[in-house]
Amino acid sequence: MVAPVRRAVGWGLLVAGAALVVMISAAVALAAGSVDVALDRVVAVVLRRCGFGGADVTVLEDQLIWQLRMPRVLGALAVGAVLAVCGAVLQALTRNDLADPFLLGVSSGASVGAVTVIVLGAGTVGLAAHTLLPIAAFIGALVALATVLLIASLGGGTTALSPHRTILAGVAVAHLCGAYTSIVTLMRGEGDAARRVLSWTLGSLAGLRWDSAAFLLFVAAIALAWSLAYAQRLDAFTFGETSARSLGIPVTATRWSLMIGTALVTAASVAFAGVIGFVGLVVPHLVRPVVGHRHRAVLPAAALAGGVLLLWADTAARSIVPRQEVPIGALTALIGVPALVWLLARRSRA
Amino acid sequence: MVRRTVFPCALLLAGALLTACAGAPEAESTQAAPSEAFPVTLTNCGHEVVVDTAPERVITLNQGATEVVLALGLDDRLAGTAYLDDAVSQRWADAYAAVPVLAEEYPTHEAILEARPDLVYASYASAFDREVAGDRPALADLGAASYLSPFGCAEEDQRPEPTFDAVWQELTDVATLLGTPERASALIDEQKRTLAEVQESAPGTGLKVLWFDSGDKTPLVGGGTGGPQLILDAVGAENIFGSIERGWGEGSWEDVIAADPDVIVLADASWSTAAEKRTFLEKDPVLQNLSAVKQGALVTVAYSEATPGVRMVDGVTSVADQITALGLTR
Repeated sequence: MVAPVRRAVGWGLLVAGAALVVMISAAVALAAGSVDVALDRVVAVVLRRCGFGGADVTVLEDQLIWQLRMPRVLGALAVGAVLAVCGAVLQALTRNDLADPFLLGVSSGASVGAVTVIVLGAGTVGLAAHTLLPIAAFIGALVALATVLLIASLGGGTTALSPHRTILAGVAVAHLCGAYTSIVTLMRGEGDAARRVLSWTLGSLAGLRWDSAAFLLFVAAIALAWSLAYAQRLDAFTFGETSARSLGIPVTATRWSLMIGTALVTAASVAFAGVIGFVGLVVPHLVRPVVGHRHRAVLPAAALAGGVLLLWADTAARSIVPRQEVPIGALTALIGVPALVWLLARRSRA
Repeated sequence: MVRRTVFPCALLLAGALLTACAGAPEAESTQAAPSEAFPVTLTNCGHEVVVDTAPERVITLNQGATEVVLALGLDDRLAGTAYLDDAVSQRWADAYAAVPVLAEEYPTHEAILEARPDLVYASYASAFDREVAGDRPALADLGAASYLSPFGCAEEDQRPEPTFDAVWQELTDVATLLGTPERASALIDEQKRTLAEVQESAPGTGLKVLWFDSGDKTPLVGGGTGGPQLILDAVGAENIFGSIERGWGEGSWEDVIAADPDVIVLADASWSTAAEKRTFLEKDPVLQNLSAVKQGALVTVAYSEATPGVRMVDGVTSVADQITALGLTR
């Protein structure tokens, strides 16, 4: 009877610690911006919105903290969580340490959609570019995904959707999409189109408002719940497909449903935040040495670490250079690469 | 065996061809009667421009250069133009329609040579890339003088501060090269009068203005040194991003909300239209609460009227008229 109680207490502490980390990170991020707002004002704004006092909060403070910065903070947490969870799932599923959420061509397909809107213009459809962009990116991602799955399952049989076929198909589609985006950007780009395409490709959480942030949070919740439902099967996959099959796991069905599932949630986050690299690749590797290899622990830990990492990266992205945003995709690589190198060095010593 | 004999033969043939080649033919030198105004010599972006006789076959590249020649009323000298950013101003549209357009963007080097220019005038240094007009000394060897808008000099330290005086200097240079300096002085006098009238009435006095160029996630705004600032200075308004020490720069929506401008100027360019930006501001859940958006104090300016050039005075009158029409109480 003692052990379960102790374990419950341990879990409780862990959850409380995680909540604390998120809250402190969020508070710092909410206080950062080109207009100075003191930390206690940030707390006052949030408390007032949650129904606790704060009658002295000005309209300006509320607009800055609650309407501009809060959606961005929540969006960062959600996108980071989605990418890290998908990375963890795909790394287990393909038994490939280099697998990331963009394995199935989602990022390159989304770029095709985005470039089409940015360069060729949105006016033709009668919608403004900023509304059309996420939709086009999402559709592009779905088309690329379908193409990759089609190529990877050509011929059917047990090799359908096998890890190395899937990776090859992803690479092929990515190159095809890359050709389209370069040709369109360089040959049809006007004004600052090339700059806008590049900045979209490096991802940005700027411009997120409550509607999109709420949607992203919803996506993140689904991603976590969905993958947790598969946690045990993923554990089995890490020992290889043969052992997974011998444990009675429907290997092909699991592969299909997880690959499509991760691609869909990734596409949803890419649609709003662009292509933010490295979070999905590195974060799972960072959390496994800490929480072990059981996916029941890896997935929530990856969600937390990914979200917090992206939140800090985003806060840095908008504060390092005054009045200018550093592309967040570049920052995650700047943070992620040393982390990965450190990890590799440590692992080879062990 | 065959291959062994073919190779030396080919080599011989090639050698024979090479020795038989003559040099390039001499460029035809046009011997027009030299008037007293010529030769004209001036230094432009570190390049010595020499014109012996009044150029008759001018090629203009980029919209700014084209409009300067049109504004001087010298469209009969144009042998070709290329590369508009948006549309040529309505007042010169008829004259422009009669000029051959060599290409939608930059023409190829061959297309330029084919037009036999005696002066190539461009707004941006990229026009003198090898695959376009070719570099300026090479053009001079071909008998074509060249002029690059000082604002477009490749070396940053050769570019003048963007001021009306610098714009007028370019007009004077070009008119002088074309042998009609009096047209420049007439045009400049007219622009000075217009500018003085607006400065006199100063309809923007006491108003805080955001110059919204493009972008949605972060706005690209008019900064403190450039066309937007010159226009806002002329109408007497205050630029909320005047502290950015560039013509255009990244602003932030936070600063916009904190400043809550009285008027927002929307730049109208083909790649980012004013209508698009208006819709964006009106739809955004946060920005729709800006006073200027709520009161519809949105003013539109063509992009080419806000870049230092011959149309900037039109930008000034346009902004001034629209602000006056808003009838804001200060």
